[in-house]
Amino acid sequence: MRPLAALIALLIAVPAWADCPLDLGRGTGLVIFSSHYLVAFRPDPMRIEIGEPFSLLFNVCTKNDKPAELVAIDAQMPEHKHGMNYRPTIVSLGAGRYRVDGMVFHMPGRWELAIDVRAGEESERLSHELIVK
Amino acid sequence: MNRWLLGAVLAALAASGALTARAVAQAALPWSDDEVKAIARHGPWPPPAPRDPSNRVVGSPNAIVLGEHLFNEPRLSADGAMSCATCHVAGRDWADGRPKAMGRRELDRRTPSLWNVGYAHWFGWDGAGDSLWSQSIRPILDAREMAGDAARVAGLLRDDKALACGYERAFGHKPGTDDEKLLVDSAKALAAFQATLVSPRTPFDAFRDGLLSGDREAAARYPAAAQRGLKIFIEANCAACHFGPRFTNGEFGDVGIPFFTRPGEVDSGRLDGLAKLANSTFNLLGRHNDDASGASALRTRHVQRLHSNFGEFRVPSLRQLGSGPFMHNGHLATLEDVVKHYSEVNPDRLHSDALPLVRPLALTAEQSSDLIAFLRTLSAEPPPRPNPPALCP
Repeated sequence: MRPLAALIALLIAVPAWADCPLDLGRGTGLVIFSSHYLVAFRPDPMRIEIGEPFSLLFNVCTKNDKPAELVAIDAQMPEHKHGMNYRPTIVSLGAGRYRVDGMVFHMPGRWELAIDVRAGEESERLSHELIVK
Repeated sequence: MNRWLLGAVLAALAASGALTARAVAQAALPWSDDEVKAIARHGPWPPPAPRDPSNRVVGSPNAIVLGEHLFNEPRLSADGAMSCATCHVAGRDWADGRPKAMGRRELDRRTPSLWNVGYAHWFGWDGAGDSLWSQSIRPILDAREMAGDAARVAGLLRDDKALACGYERAFGHKPGTDDEKLLVDSAKALAAFQATLVSPRTPFDAFRDGLLSGDREAAARYPAAAQRGLKIFIEANCAACHFGPRFTNGEFGDVGIPFFTRPGEVDSGRLDGLAKLANSTFNLLGRHNDDASGASALRTRHVQRLHSNFGEFRVPSLRQLGSGPFMHNGHLATLEDVVKHYSEVNPDRLHSDALPLVRPLALTAEQSSDLIAFLRTLSAEPPPRPNPPALCP
């Protein structure tokens, strides 16, 4: 419910972003944003299991409602300063939509996603924390 | 008189029952919600039977029978003296109890147990195998171990009447002329057999299930020392690596065990394993993978080789630990030595610039004893094994 509430609040507060194609097929998932970008993503399957491969579905937009590019994605455990043992690949599905395959969180705990996005010459790294149990 | 005696016996039994009930009640330690959740993640046991889409005969009764016969077949080796069962001994938890494996000469690593091997996703201490069947090929071909070859294995399947019959039953056709395919099929039958080696339920499993179902009496039957040891296991975050029902996340770590094999020579572990994986014609990216979807090769496609893989070895399961020796190279003789290692490990050796996953636990003698008591409850006496059925009765 929390991501949904955040999205509703976001759409009310920033009506200019309301047309950004955030639908990820089974709801919008998690939404993160900066002053330039709006990113919605969800895992596939929805529940991330320790040690099991999963994918991430992304919609990436600019604040001006234009599709943006997902350049790179990585994850690490900040406490232990180690990343994943696997290198994910990004597949563009068009219009700012992406599928990231080959993600594996091999330990329980706090993982930080680093999401590099770009529109034109401007690139930015957005981050998001996930607690995996 | 008899009635009096009966009454006395009943009274004594009732009193002893009351005492037992009191002792049971006293043995139950309090568990927080977070601790219960942590304990829950180590079950249920046993899990559903292993699946392996890369192996079309896994779970097939005929392939399991063929695999067990091949497992015990010394003619797979060059000199006819060594089979899989030479090192993976059923009565020794499917290992050999030696610090280092003995093939045609002594090797650098310990023979790993085969209990629950069907649930793994990386095989061998260095993870050079990405399927149980590809891992089963390695010792057959390794010149230091069975020193066999594809032609020998294929010839045996074609020429031995019983094995040829067993092959036809398992694979639905007679052994063909492609030696490499027959080698792989033999390994797939071996894998089908090994995937059946699921360790028995343990006192820990009864405790876990009792705790989760609210059966306080069942939970309280778990020894108090083991309960205290379990609390240490949770508090020390051992489950960061020893995660889930098998008590392993199936990945790799450097826990401070020396990686010098002899003066001037090191065992680089996972780093070398990943190079071998990439160069193997039997990995899941190759033509012998039975999974047309490609999904089973996901890890192989995405795994990355990192400098930090140097000196890393596969995190072993803690179920059916056996009596040792322990660690990838048999460096520690007893479970007491293992706990002492984690209690006193030198943090400088682990080169961590963050919160280290392995740090000296500084356990007291009583805490060490409790942790060992807990670890021992992850084992149980397996049921006796019947002789394998005949291939073609």
